[in-house]
Amino acid sequence: MAETRHADIKEMSFERALKELEAIVGRLDRGDVELAESITIYERGEALRNHCDHLLRQAEAKVEKLTIGADGEPKGAEPLDPPQ
Amino acid sequence: MTTLLLTHSCFVDHDTGEGHPERPDRMRVLDKVFADPRFDGLERAEAPMRDDCEEAILRVHPETYLARLKRLRPEAGQPAVRLDPDTVLSSGSWEAAMRAVGAGLEAVDKVFEDDRTITNAFCQVRPCGHHAEKERAMGFCLFSNVAIAAKYARARHGAERIAVVDFDVHHGNGTQDVFWAEKDLFLASTHQMPLYPGTGAPDEEGETGNICNAPLRPNDGGSQFREAFNSRVLPALTDFSPDLILISAGFDAHEADPLANLRLVEDDFVWATDKLMNIAEHHCQGRVVSMLEGGYDLAALGRSAAAHVDLLMGA
Repeated sequence: MAETRHADIKEMSFERALKELEAIVGRLDRGDVELAESITIYERGEALRNHCDHLLRQAEAKVEKLTIGADGEPKGAEPLDPPQ
Repeated sequence: MTTLLLTHSCFVDHDTGEGHPERPDRMRVLDKVFADPRFDGLERAEAPMRDDCEEAILRVHPETYLARLKRLRPEAGQPAVRLDPDTVLSSGSWEAAMRAVGAGLEAVDKVFEDDRTITNAFCQVRPCGHHAEKERAMGFCLFSNVAIAAKYARARHGAERIAVVDFDVHHGNGTQDVFWAEKDLFLASTHQMPLYPGTGAPDEEGETGNICNAPLRPNDGGSQFREAFNSRVLPALTDFSPDLILISAGFDAHEADPLANLRLVEDDFVWATDKLMNIAEHHCQGRVVSMLEGGYDLAALGRSAAAHVDLLMGA
């Protein structure tokens, strides 16, 4: 159910997801959320955080590929999931 | 010595509206649970409408706050007033709120009686209270039920050191607001962070270190909860050496609860209740008054409250 509810997040850029996540964290910290809704907002924040984590891990893996180029020299980033 | 159960049929008339999680069915489920023969040993009483109720409220909330709620309360047949997006004042709310406060006062009287027959008490009430700040109704709460009972115990029975332990999944910001500068009133709270209402960080300690916040992370379960009790709550409570322990008994840290992400089960509430009763036995002749706060999955609420009261009865 949570997957469907947060389907839009999958398409988000890192910057956009982080911005929304920061807004949610700010609201939770300020207590600017209703009790009955706070869990929904928290769960969206968690979905955003997972998406940001996923994008970060992808970026890290790309950096790693650069670092361990076959000839020891940095190379252009290769896609993580080459086209089938 | 027995356990006293205080409740009243009017608590279902606090009408929070369609789809609201803090709903009258919570009382109906508990009525059914406590009708089971295993609870035949309970002493039962109606949550009373007491003449000294307003006087007790005014030890905690300012006159202007009480007057405002009185002014806003709808007459029978009039629509409910929304005090914030969560918190509703319906035509039946006033009597419910007064009797919820009254239950706390009555329970305190009973555990402080000379030649007492009541060891401890459970107040099956709504609206709940621990989010209501001195001057602000919020989070389903109108009056700070537990804090009012604490100050009443001090004023009426000369209790000098009163502790509240709050294991509701949401932080008891209202109780904290009332207790902040009161060195002889102690609050220990376990709750999920981040979550509503956003307060309850460990560095919120009150003016004299009289507040102990032990937040838990989302998805934490019984082991983390027990660790927080063992390392933070219980030592601080023992050091405080209370004359009375009040419990803000919310059962929404249960794994089935729809409003939070902790993973407690009935046994965890039983374990915590047992620990608190042991300290009460040692420091204050077993005086424990437990007041219902949250708990929004009806089946989990029923099972958890039953397990909690079952243990209270074993004192």
